[in-house]
Amino acid sequence: MTNPPAVTLDHVSKWYGQVIGINDVSIAIDGGVTGILGMNGAGKSTLFKLLMGRIRPSKGSVRLFGTNPWDSTAPYRRIGYVSESERMYDWMTSIDFVSTLARLHGMTRSEAEFRAEQALSFVDLGDVLNKEIGKYSKGMRQRVKIAAALVHDPDLLILDEPLHGCDPLARTSIMNVIREMGSRGKTVLLSSHILEEIERITEQIVILHAGRLVALGNLHAIRAMLDKHPHRILIHCEDARALASSFIDKQPVYGVRFLDNERLEIMTKDLSEAHSILPALILESGVPIHSIENPDDNLESLLGYLVGDSR
Amino acid sequence: MIESDGAASLGEARIEAAYGSGDGDDDSSATVARPMQGKIFEQIYRPWNGPLGPRWVRNYAIYRHHVYGIVSGSGHRRYHPFVRLLLLVVILGSMTPILMLLLSTMVSDDATGFLNRMWGVNRYNLWGNVLGYFPRNLCMWPLLTALVVGGLISDDRRNGTSAIYFSRPVSRLDYAAMKWLSAASVLAIVILLTYMMYYSAAVVFKGEGWSFIADTIPIFIGGLFAGIFLVFTYTSIGIALSSISTSRFTASISFLGYILGSKLIAWLIEIQFNTTYVYMVSPYDCLAHVGQWLVGLPSNYDHPLALSVISLVAMNAASLAIFASRVASLEVTRE
Repeated sequence: MTNPPAVTLDHVSKWYGQVIGINDVSIAIDGGVTGILGMNGAGKSTLFKLLMGRIRPSKGSVRLFGTNPWDSTAPYRRIGYVSESERMYDWMTSIDFVSTLARLHGMTRSEAEFRAEQALSFVDLGDVLNKEIGKYSKGMRQRVKIAAALVHDPDLLILDEPLHGCDPLARTSIMNVIREMGSRGKTVLLSSHILEEIERITEQIVILHAGRLVALGNLHAIRAMLDKHPHRILIHCEDARALASSFIDKQPVYGVRFLDNERLEIMTKDLSEAHSILPALILESGVPIHSIENPDDNLESLLGYLVGDSR
Repeated sequence: MIESDGAASLGEARIEAAYGSGDGDDDSSATVARPMQGKIFEQIYRPWNGPLGPRWVRNYAIYRHHVYGIVSGSGHRRYHPFVRLLLLVVILGSMTPILMLLLSTMVSDDATGFLNRMWGVNRYNLWGNVLGYFPRNLCMWPLLTALVVGGLISDDRRNGTSAIYFSRPVSRLDYAAMKWLSAASVLAIVILLTYMMYYSAAVVFKGEGWSFIADTIPIFIGGLFAGIFLVFTYTSIGIALSSISTSRFTASISFLGYILGSKLIAWLIEIQFNTTYVYMVSPYDCLAHVGQWLVGLPSNYDHPLALSVISLVAMNAASLAIFASRVASLEVTRE
C-alpha cells in the first residue's frame, strides 16, 4: 500500500459568513519545497489554518498524511509548523524553549536537550542558545521558531511567511535551511507574497488569488504557458536606439519601446529564448549596458497575466 | 578623501553631526568602519531517528512545564520574586501548627493544656487545618490559588502562546487537563501535604500508638477529603476565571472577589435576616459545611447539607464547562 501524500486538499472551500477564504481548492503535495504565493487576502492563511486544524473546511476534505487534522492531532507528530504570529516565552533561553517543545513531542529530557542543541546549531544559533529569547533580534527569533519546528525531525514543514521582517543574513540562513530540508526529501510548504523570495528557494509554486487556485507547478513552466501575454525586458544602456537596431528584426522580439535615450523596453512572447540571444546581440552592438531587468518578474505581474481583469 | 581608521576625525564628525557647528563644506572627509571578518558557518542537518514517547510523556511535559515555573525561570510563566516570596510565606504559614506541636511536646504540655488544645489533633483542629477561615481561607488559600491559577490560561490568551501546544500532538483535552492538574497539584502540595505532615508530626512528636491512630484516622481522612474538595473547587473556579480573561490580574482579583465577596455578603445577610441560605453562593461556606459533616463536627449552618453539596457540584460543573468551552475556542478562528 502506498503512503498517502503529506498534504491533500480535495475540493476544499471555506467561507467566513459571506466572505470566501478558500474556494474549491484541490491539491496534493508530497516531497520537496513548495511555495504558496498570493497577495494579501488570497487565502494563504486560511489554507494554513485548515492544515493546522484551526478551522474546519465548509466543504471538501483536508488530509495530512491521510488523516483529518481537525479530528486528530496524530499528524502533528510528523509536522513542524512556523507561524508568522505565534509568540514565544520571551523569558526562556532558546535551548530551554526548544527543548520544552521537543518534550511536547514525547522526547525524554536528555534527548530533548541534545536535539534542541542540534536544531539551534543548524539554524546558526549554537553560540547564543543560553540567551533569553526576549533579547534576540527578529531574525534570530524566527530562527528559534524554525529550530523548534525542526527539533523532532518532521516529515512536513509548514512555514508561514518565514522570511517576514528578517535581515539579509537571517534570510540567507533560513533559505539555506529550507533548501536543505527540501533536498532531504522532506515536504516543505512556505507562504509568501514576494515571488522573488520564493524563487530563490524553489521553482515549485502554488498561486492563490481571491481564495482560488490559479496556478500550480513549476514557476518557469507557468510563465511559459502565458505566451499570449508579452514579456518585457528593460535594458538600461548608454545608447538605447543603437541597441534597439540590433534587436528589432530578431525572433522572438516583436516590439521595442524607448522610455528615454538610455532605457529600452523589449517586448517578447518567449522570455527564455529572448534571454538566450540577448548576450550575443549586446556584445555585437558594442553598446555599454548598465542593467537588465525583467519588470514582469513579480507576483503582481504574474497574477495579472493569470487572472486578467478579474482582479 | 576616505579615511579607513581615524578615531579623531570620527569624533569630530560626530560633534558636527550633533551640534551642526560646521556647514560640512570645509573639509570633505568621511570615515568608514573597517569591515568585520566574516565567519564560515557550516550548516549540517542531523536527522533524528529516536522514538517519540506516547501521550503520557507529552502530557507530563505540559504538566512539568507549568509546575516548574514556580521554582525556575524556564516554566510557563516567570513568577515575580515577590510572588515567589508570598508563596513561600503561605507554605511556611500552613506549616506553623507543626512547630506549635513541637513546642507543646517540648514544654510537656498535657492533653488538656493550652498548646495541645490549640494545635493538637482533634476534630476542630483537623477541620481548621484545611477549612479554618482565619488565616487559611481568608488569607492563604484564596491568595495561593489566585497567584497560581490567575495567569494559567489568561497568559496564553493574551500572548497567543496556546498555539505552541496546538501545533504539536497535544489535544485540547490534554492541554486543559494538564493545566488544571498542574494548578491543583500546587494547591494540593501546600494544602494537603502540610495537612498530612501535621497529622504525622502529631503522631511522631507525641509518640502516639496504634490506638490513637485508629481513633483519629477516620477524622483525618474526612479532613483530607474536605481538603481534596477544596483544592478541586478552588482550582476549577480559578481556572474558569483565568480562561475568560486575558489578564492574570483580572482573573486573580475576580477569584478573590468571588471567594471573599460571596462569604461577606452571605454573612451580612445572615446577621441582618438570620438565615444561612445565602451561604449557598459562597464556595468557602459550601466546603466548610461539607467539611464539618465529613469530620463529624456540629454544623454552623441552618440549611440542609444537601443544598451545599448541590451548590458545590453546580459550581464545579459550571466552572469546568466554562473552562472547556474557552479552551475549545482557543486559537480557533470564529466562523
